[in-house]
Amino acid sequence: MRTTESKRASLRLVLAGCAIALFLAPAAARSAPSEVEELRSQLDATREELATTKQTLTQTQQELAATRGTLQSLVERVDAIQAAGPLPAVSAAPPPPVSAGSSTARILPVNADNPAISFVVDTEVATDHHRSFGSIGFPTGTDFSLRNAELFISAPIDPFLRGYASINGTSDEGFDVEEAALITTALPWGLTVKGGRFFADFGRLPHWHDEALPFVDRPPSIERFIGGESGSEGVEVSWLVPTDHFIEITAGAYDAVGSEYLEELNDDGFFGRRNVDELSYLVHPHTYFDLTDSLNLEVGGTWLGVPAGDSERNTWGVDVTLRHQPGTTGVYQGFVWGTEWLWNDQRFTERDDDGSLIDRMRPSRSGGYSYVEAFFARRYSAGLRYDRSKAPDGERDLANTVSAFFTWKPSEFHRLRLQLDDVWGDQQDNQRLTLQWTAFIGSHSHGFAQR
Amino acid sequence: MASHSASVRMSIHWIAGLGMLLASLVAGPATASLRVVASMPDVADITKQIGGDRVSIVTIAEGTQDPHKVPVKPSFVSKLHRADALVVQGLGLEHAFVPALSEAARNARILPGAPAYIDASLYVTPLEVPSSQNRTQGELHPLGNPHFNLDPVQGKLMARAIAEGLERVDPDGAEAYRAGLARFEALLDRKIAEWQTLAAPLRGVKAVSYHEDMVYLAERYGIERVGTIEVKPGIPATPRHVEDLLATMKRDNVKLVIHEVSYDPGLAESIAERTGARVATISAMAGGLGHAGYIDSIEANLKALLAAVQGESAG
Repeated sequence: MRTTESKRASLRLVLAGCAIALFLAPAAARSAPSEVEELRSQLDATREELATTKQTLTQTQQELAATRGTLQSLVERVDAIQAAGPLPAVSAAPPPPVSAGSSTARILPVNADNPAISFVVDTEVATDHHRSFGSIGFPTGTDFSLRNAELFISAPIDPFLRGYASINGTSDEGFDVEEAALITTALPWGLTVKGGRFFADFGRLPHWHDEALPFVDRPPSIERFIGGESGSEGVEVSWLVPTDHFIEITAGAYDAVGSEYLEELNDDGFFGRRNVDELSYLVHPHTYFDLTDSLNLEVGGTWLGVPAGDSERNTWGVDVTLRHQPGTTGVYQGFVWGTEWLWNDQRFTERDDDGSLIDRMRPSRSGGYSYVEAFFARRYSAGLRYDRSKAPDGERDLANTVSAFFTWKPSEFHRLRLQLDDVWGDQQDNQRLTLQWTAFIGSHSHGFAQR
Repeated sequence: MASHSASVRMSIHWIAGLGMLLASLVAGPATASLRVVASMPDVADITKQIGGDRVSIVTIAEGTQDPHKVPVKPSFVSKLHRADALVVQGLGLEHAFVPALSEAARNARILPGAPAYIDASLYVTPLEVPSSQNRTQGELHPLGNPHFNLDPVQGKLMARAIAEGLERVDPDGAEAYRAGLARFEALLDRKIAEWQTLAAPLRGVKAVSYHEDMVYLAERYGIERVGTIEVKPGIPATPRHVEDLLATMKRDNVKLVIHEVSYDPGLAESIAERTGARVATISAMAGGLGHAGYIDSIEANLKALLAAVQGESAG
């Protein structure tokens, strides 16, 4: 009811308005004839504009109808696609796997990494303040040198075996087959057997290749007791204990352990042959603990022995490595704290050409190192190392070395390292500054053992 | 005679008992479920969604880590040694840690190509497959960009490959795995439709990211990739590269900097500040933003991107 009344009221208002307009319009026309003409022309113009607007509106309506049609067909197509699956890729037949050898995984083509070949260029410039000890000393002065040029080749041989070789050359020692070894890959019960020439599994850093070390040099204590890296010729059996906790035990038999000893032995030619109890034997159990998600501890112990003969020896080693590995790439990226300590009880025998004994001694010596390296911002790491050792056969030969090292890696395969060593002890003190420049060509990895 | 056979029986019991004790020590707690090691949190969650109680999963990488720098921990060697299956995201994403761990694990069943090596990338069509292997281009993945997990539609393909792999290793569970796959796909389909609408404001948005890992996500939601903070994949930024990037961003009016949670936020924030852009922190792996599940992680990434984009347009 109210609506009807309000409509009536509105109608009355409109009629009244029209009446007023009709009354006023003739009066206005009478008052000014020229204005009428002007108004007429304005009216005509307005009519033209209105016609144009109507035409435009009609065109727009037609275009809108066409757009609606297109949109509708698009919606129908999208619906059809969604009904078949979110994207054509989902409903399409799966693309063929990359490898012809397997239909269950994408594997690199066989020739991409078979064999994996790499070449390391490891150069340095070093300057020494003073001549130091005979056993760990450095020549006085400044020297550019090719520290190591290493060709590394690795590949599976068949489903049961893989092989690798490391052939290297240096400024000081010429070319050498550093390693050439075979490793089984399919033995049961978590066993692997390694044979040939390789770095025996002594401790942690003794079996690392030079270019993988966190410092410019191998720690002096390892150089003295092991004789450089733990180069050997022999056979090693390694057992991964089948528990959820990581325990690995390695046992080996070798001609000798330590590149220097091996070299001496090989230089002996025929006389290098010895009784079985004069060979070197090794046992190395090691284990690992996740202390937290990012903090972990690795502990190992090694016994290396020569049961009898002129080189009879017992060497014991303990290695402890604490790592903080948050795995992120912020400014701080973690640290490694590594320590090894060795006890060496070894017979040194000197004979003349006809084999008569000249001198025999059996000193007990101990030594080791400890270092911390912290990693920053993807590119940088810095660390400190302390090493204390005595020569296994020497006298007045205590040497302490403190080393500070800084590494910059423009990429994963390229690094510059600056190291300052300060040596003091029973003989002349020495300070040494070394700049090392190392790069890796090709597929370089020494795998799990040198992680 | 009777006493002799009794003592023999006793001895047999002792030996059997000792044998069982040793076996139990070596085997660990008895478990009926399939022991699966997953390389990445994304494939771990999808495997869990599909396999349910039939699988027990250990995940190697954590969501906050850089997938290219995951630490090689010996504890995973033992897990891999005893694993019934290894699930990887694939396309070489795990090159920094899975080959080294597998080499030490002595488990031929989980080596690439073996039935229990489950490759989630199997049905994914790779993008950015390099035409040459040359390290001047950074650390390229020979099989293509491996960060397809950030696109949920690729997640469906990952699920399919994982379900097939689980079925291959454990044929008795085929029915369960197929049902699990169907459930996961239905859930993901629903979310994909939702996200398509939700992510509409991202279409046409120009962005730089820290690493070259946005290609699949960008293709899905129409984000225009303008550059990366890294010089090349795996090569950290140099001052000159940052200057070039700033110039490009200013010229192209780029207002979004995508910072993956595993990388240093400082540089991303500094670049955003100098260009008037906003930073969206996302995660290249599930769990990086605190959401352990694959689906929740995708949604968290989209919301982070939207918050940055809409904050920009509002401001």
